[in-house]
Amino acid sequence: MTFTANDFKTDLKPVWCPGCGDFAVLNSVHRALVAAGCAPHETILVSGIGCSSRLPGYVETYGLNSLHGRALPIATGAKLAQPRMTVVAVGGDGDGLAIGGNHFLHAARRNVDIAYFMMDNEIYGLTKGQAGPTTPTGDKTKSTSYGNPDPAIDPCALAIACGASWVGRGFSGDVKGTTELMTRAIQHHGFAFLNILSPCVTWRGEEQHKEIRAKTRAVPADHDVTSREAALRFTDEQEQVTTGVLYEVNRPTLLDELSHIERRARGEKPAATRSDFLAAFGA
Amino acid sequence: MSEDVTFSIVGSGGDGAVVAGDLAAMACAAVGLHVIKTEAYGPQIRGGESSSTVRISSTPIAAQGEAIDALVVFRFGDFARFRSEMTLSDRCIVLHEPDDAPPPELAAFRCVPVPFAQLTKDAGAPGAKNIVGLGLLAAMFGLPLDSIRTAVRKRFRKRDAAIIDANLRALDTGVQAGLACSGGVSSSQRFDALTPAAPRLLMSGNEATAFAALHAGCSFFAGYPITPSTEILQLLAEWLPKIGGTCLQTEDELAAIGAVVGASFAGSKAMTATSGPGLSLMSEMLGLASIAEIPSVVVNVQRGGPSTGIPTKSEQSDLFHAVHGGHGDMPRVVLAPCDVEDAFHTTADAFNIAEEFQVPVIVLSDQLIAQRRETIDAASLIHPVVPRRVVLDPDDSYRRYAMTDDGVSPMTAPGIAGGMYQTNGLEHDEEGRPSSMFVTHERMNAKRHRKLAAIAEKYPLFRRYGVADPELGILCWGSSAGPVIEAVEQLNAREARVAAFVPRILAPLPIDALEKFIFSCNRILIVELSFEEQFHRYLRSLVDLPPLMTRVLARSGGKPLSAAEVIAAAAILEEVTA
Repeated sequence: MTFTANDFKTDLKPVWCPGCGDFAVLNSVHRALVAAGCAPHETILVSGIGCSSRLPGYVETYGLNSLHGRALPIATGAKLAQPRMTVVAVGGDGDGLAIGGNHFLHAARRNVDIAYFMMDNEIYGLTKGQAGPTTPTGDKTKSTSYGNPDPAIDPCALAIACGASWVGRGFSGDVKGTTELMTRAIQHHGFAFLNILSPCVTWRGEEQHKEIRAKTRAVPADHDVTSREAALRFTDEQEQVTTGVLYEVNRPTLLDELSHIERRARGEKPAATRSDFLAAFGA
Repeated sequence: MSEDVTFSIVGSGGDGAVVAGDLAAMACAAVGLHVIKTEAYGPQIRGGESSSTVRISSTPIAAQGEAIDALVVFRFGDFARFRSEMTLSDRCIVLHEPDDAPPPELAAFRCVPVPFAQLTKDAGAPGAKNIVGLGLLAAMFGLPLDSIRTAVRKRFRKRDAAIIDANLRALDTGVQAGLACSGGVSSSQRFDALTPAAPRLLMSGNEATAFAALHAGCSFFAGYPITPSTEILQLLAEWLPKIGGTCLQTEDELAAIGAVVGASFAGSKAMTATSGPGLSLMSEMLGLASIAEIPSVVVNVQRGGPSTGIPTKSEQSDLFHAVHGGHGDMPRVVLAPCDVEDAFHTTADAFNIAEEFQVPVIVLSDQLIAQRRETIDAASLIHPVVPRRVVLDPDDSYRRYAMTDDGVSPMTAPGIAGGMYQTNGLEHDEEGRPSSMFVTHERMNAKRHRKLAAIAEKYPLFRRYGVADPELGILCWGSSAGPVIEAVEQLNAREARVAAFVPRILAPLPIDALEKFIFSCNRILIVELSFEEQFHRYLRSLVDLPPLMTRVLARSGGKPLSAAEVIAAAAILEEVTA
């Protein structure tokens, strides 16, 4: 059975501000789930807390809008419990890199077979305008009246360093491009991280969208996606922002490793029984 | 006639004190004796002092040995570290190296110098002084030697035959030396006249908990190492892959409970295990499990707190956190095992309740239950298993949080067509849609809390001990039950009228049964290992206690409760209320 983007839509109205980049991201999610061949009942969407983490409520799949920072451990548990399901985690930059930063490191390291879409607006929107981990140094925000003292993290550089096997960057203003990147991320075998620049019109101003559009460049056609060094050249950029697939390798996923473990534990034997376990205690 | 003896072996790392205790316990369990074995360690990662205390009885026992009848000390410097936690019986025999003089305070006991080091040399078994010590104890108390030999062979089965032979020689050397020390041992401490009975299992509470998870159909475990619950993670890491299940060691406890919630949302029975610091970290996610109604089981093995506290020793001071911890009005269930076998049953019930009522369930174990080894009958490790109730063919009217009489709504799982729903930790309506309206919040709070009434009715878990018409009633929970049960038996043997009530579900508390018990008693003694009297204060918040007739025996953990303490508190209560 094939599905259309409409099959993935719910009738819940998004809480986002008019002009928010997340509307376009949602649009891309609906299309990408179709393009990747997903079925609504065999897809799980997990998010943390933040404006963008409301997204699972607007997608007709099994969805869980969870706790601030905890989307990835929940998505990991869901994927391990039901490997047949497509599991996608979504959220914002503060959710994934600040409060949930530790989980980001470990989900990437383990190469859990999930896709993770980070809607990056460089600000905490839901709490109305405080600096986040991707806010540029010096920016004045509600919580940095005299300028942000902290340097910004490039999420893609972090993902590559932590061992993600697929890393891409998209821009919400490019629905077609983002949809393609999402589709590839979902289809990737392993932890696929997609950083999506998604402007916040309310707290970063109308200009953010235009600035990003002016700075984005597609990744060069001759870029070697299997090279970490090459991929890292398109991170921490100042004058431009490179979009596209930055890094893509194949390595065993957590599920692959766990199935090796099961073979090592069981060998050719059938599943252990009650008496096998009790034998260790003198039975 | 009941035979009953307790001995301790104390030494430094490498002396093998714990191995010797294990061998004695295994050997006695194998011939059907009743055994409770505890261990104690200094804070060192390797080496340092360690002690092993074994109580052996021909009839069922409820508590670890509290007065030591024989003490093997390889070095009194190590003994000094445990002295404040050890009670020696009047007839205690102390076996020690000749060149290591006992401290003056032991002068009142029978101290017998034994050249352990020399005996191991004579036996051609250097380093096996623990086995020599075991031989001594076996000779003194008539422990089953053949069974001990079997245990030694089993323990060293992966080593050279020469090593096994050396250990068996060390055992015989100890036995010969022990025959000379047997004078003064009463017949109630000797087991040689007993006929062997069917073997018993020797298990720790953590092992019983892990086994219960498998029994209950748990297929997913996530955890982070933390003393004293780590064995549960280790066992399930070994066992789950053998049955096609999954064990994940996560980066922290936040991720452990997160993965459990994710796995359960996806349709699996899932569990994590931790101790106090980990439970603190898990609080927020338990709130999500409660509001999103995702079945989750958390085993919390209590240790001394707050903060890092005393990781290796027991306390009952996580009660408030378990029953009240977390923000918001958050229905959750708290169960508490009262011995090793009960760790199996409460864990199995935790899954049953979590699955049937879609709630987070905390199993509040403690170090004393979790890490002591105790004999149990394999036949007792049976418990009903409730499968997850899943709606397989939802129609268009399916609502995940539909209102029901008992508050339990139909649940689907990923993979079921037409059962999709979007849930969250926000307050939500029957379909799971976020809502900040008062009326929705009030209705959904009521729905979620209705489950507690249904659980209280179906699972009024408690145990009652002692006489039917008590004059004194003792209330306690968890590992305190062991010494309390023994105190009740001893008091009733002296023609007192005492009973004990031990709730095994702390939230929702079995109020009806508890009130009935309290009203049937003239005086009430509350017993717990919490300096803040958490159990007492919790009870006060839910039931009426007779104001002038209630006394509390509450102190810090770090040292096991003893029946003698309970009896002394009962005597004081009788005096002040007479």
